[in-house]
Amino acid sequence: MTDTPAPAVGAIRWRRLLDRVLVVAVILALWQLASWHVGIYWVSSPWGVTARFAEMTASGELIRHAGYTLAEAAAGTLIAGVPAVLLPLILRRHPVLVAILDPFMIGGYGAPKLAFAPLFIVWFGIGMESKIALVVSVVFFIVYFATLNGVRALDPKLVQTAQILGASERRIARHIVLPAAVPSIFAGFRIAVPYGIAAAVIAELISANRGLGFLVQTGATNFDTTGVFAAIAMATLLVQAAIWLMNALERALLRWRPPVDAWMETGP
Amino acid sequence: MTALLEIRKLGKRFPARHGREPSPWVIQDLSFSVAEGELLTIVGPSGAGKSTLLNIIAQTDTASAGEIIVDGVPVTTRDPRALKPGIDRRIGYVTQDDNLLPWRSTLDNVLFALEVQDRLDDTGRARAQALIEAVGLAGFERYYPHELSGGMRKRTALIRTLVYDPPVILMDEPFAAVDAQTRTQLQADLLRLWEMGRKTIVFVTHDITEAIALGDRALVLSKQPSRIAAEHIIPIPRPRNVKDIFALPGFAATYEKIRADVQ
Repeated sequence: MTDTPAPAVGAIRWRRLLDRVLVVAVILALWQLASWHVGIYWVSSPWGVTARFAEMTASGELIRHAGYTLAEAAAGTLIAGVPAVLLPLILRRHPVLVAILDPFMIGGYGAPKLAFAPLFIVWFGIGMESKIALVVSVVFFIVYFATLNGVRALDPKLVQTAQILGASERRIARHIVLPAAVPSIFAGFRIAVPYGIAAAVIAELISANRGLGFLVQTGATNFDTTGVFAAIAMATLLVQAAIWLMNALERALLRWRPPVDAWMETGP
Repeated sequence: MTALLEIRKLGKRFPARHGREPSPWVIQDLSFSVAEGELLTIVGPSGAGKSTLLNIIAQTDTASAGEIIVDGVPVTTRDPRALKPGIDRRIGYVTQDDNLLPWRSTLDNVLFALEVQDRLDDTGRARAQALIEAVGLAGFERYYPHELSGGMRKRTALIRTLVYDPPVILMDEPFAAVDAQTRTQLQADLLRLWEMGRKTIVFVTHDITEAIALGDRALVLSKQPSRIAAEHIIPIPRPRNVKDIFALPGFAATYEKIRADVQ
């Protein structure tokens, strides 16, 4: 029981923004202090990274490399995401098949995919294909299990209602199972996409001649901490942008849901 | 009048599972028939197997004994996998929960059946709109279920079934979960819609007043194992005013008779 009236949504949003700025300021201050004490050579400095970031962005170098990484991550997410969403929908009526697949899917989910990166490079070369393959292997299992959970949580009464109203199995998959699973599907992608971007970066780190991972690798080889941080900052921005895009898409698709209080909205 | 739906010696017990014995018979030797255009009400105490009975007729559950005959053709099956819910769109079912699709607006929920039956044309749209207006939902076509009141959701669920015009409509206490005033209004809405088309309706309720207000005939279910304990023709002429049903001649006597039969 609370007697205090809930503050206006706008006020909550501003307060939240202010608090976030504060957190960033504290982190940057600590970083700057560290660079004075430990030495700029080891941890670079916020100012140095910002300047390098701006410089590399202006020259187009950072954008170009980020573009490669983004393209790999996006292609991998699409190639993995479509079957990862469709498979549980198709297999809904075939629990035996799901049961047969289960140990393999769990194995695929649990296997350390990043350890496959060298193998993928052997198989697919040092171009984009090997990076996309790693992203696929990371994204697929996360989205598959998230979708499967959503399909399993489906209210059987809605399916029954649709059957009585004359819907075929295909129509039920399209009009009942898929929309009911959308929140779970998004939950899966929200977890999978940052891992996917990280997988692209790591594959580039191992062997590539472009991409943010390549920048990190080059920076580290040349003992250029500032360059490493600038590339990592760009990768983080990519993740943030991807999450923002997914949240916007989810909001558009889930307009039918009752609104959530502002203070309950959490990222990512 | 010919029987459109006939139930013959229906029996139901739930199958053995996880080392348990099969359940006792919840329905046994239950027989009745419904004529075309009749509004039949079935009254029974809680736990009398009312929902189970309707589930079996709608083929979302199997019968353990007996037969169901729709339009002269037996449609019974004992195999859960051979069930055809709604028996090829011939049996509509308005359940206790509205089971509206939360991601579809009022209008899209009402149009759902026509859409999945590939019958969504201008006539269908016009019919949906007419029904929406008939139950006072005009202006709420674009609202989602969570934005509607309980009574509005019930109305949406009701016309979602009426819109595709199944020959028989089963109703399982559809108005049980709303307040008394809304319920009276919903009953009046239902009667008005029924007078327009005279559909065949089987309406199950635990409320004797509701059974009298709506029905041409009321059947009383016994306690488990449930069977038909009594049959009462409702002597109140139509059109009936649901709000003043208590005051109409014949109501009190019928109420007393049914109450005596409901255990």
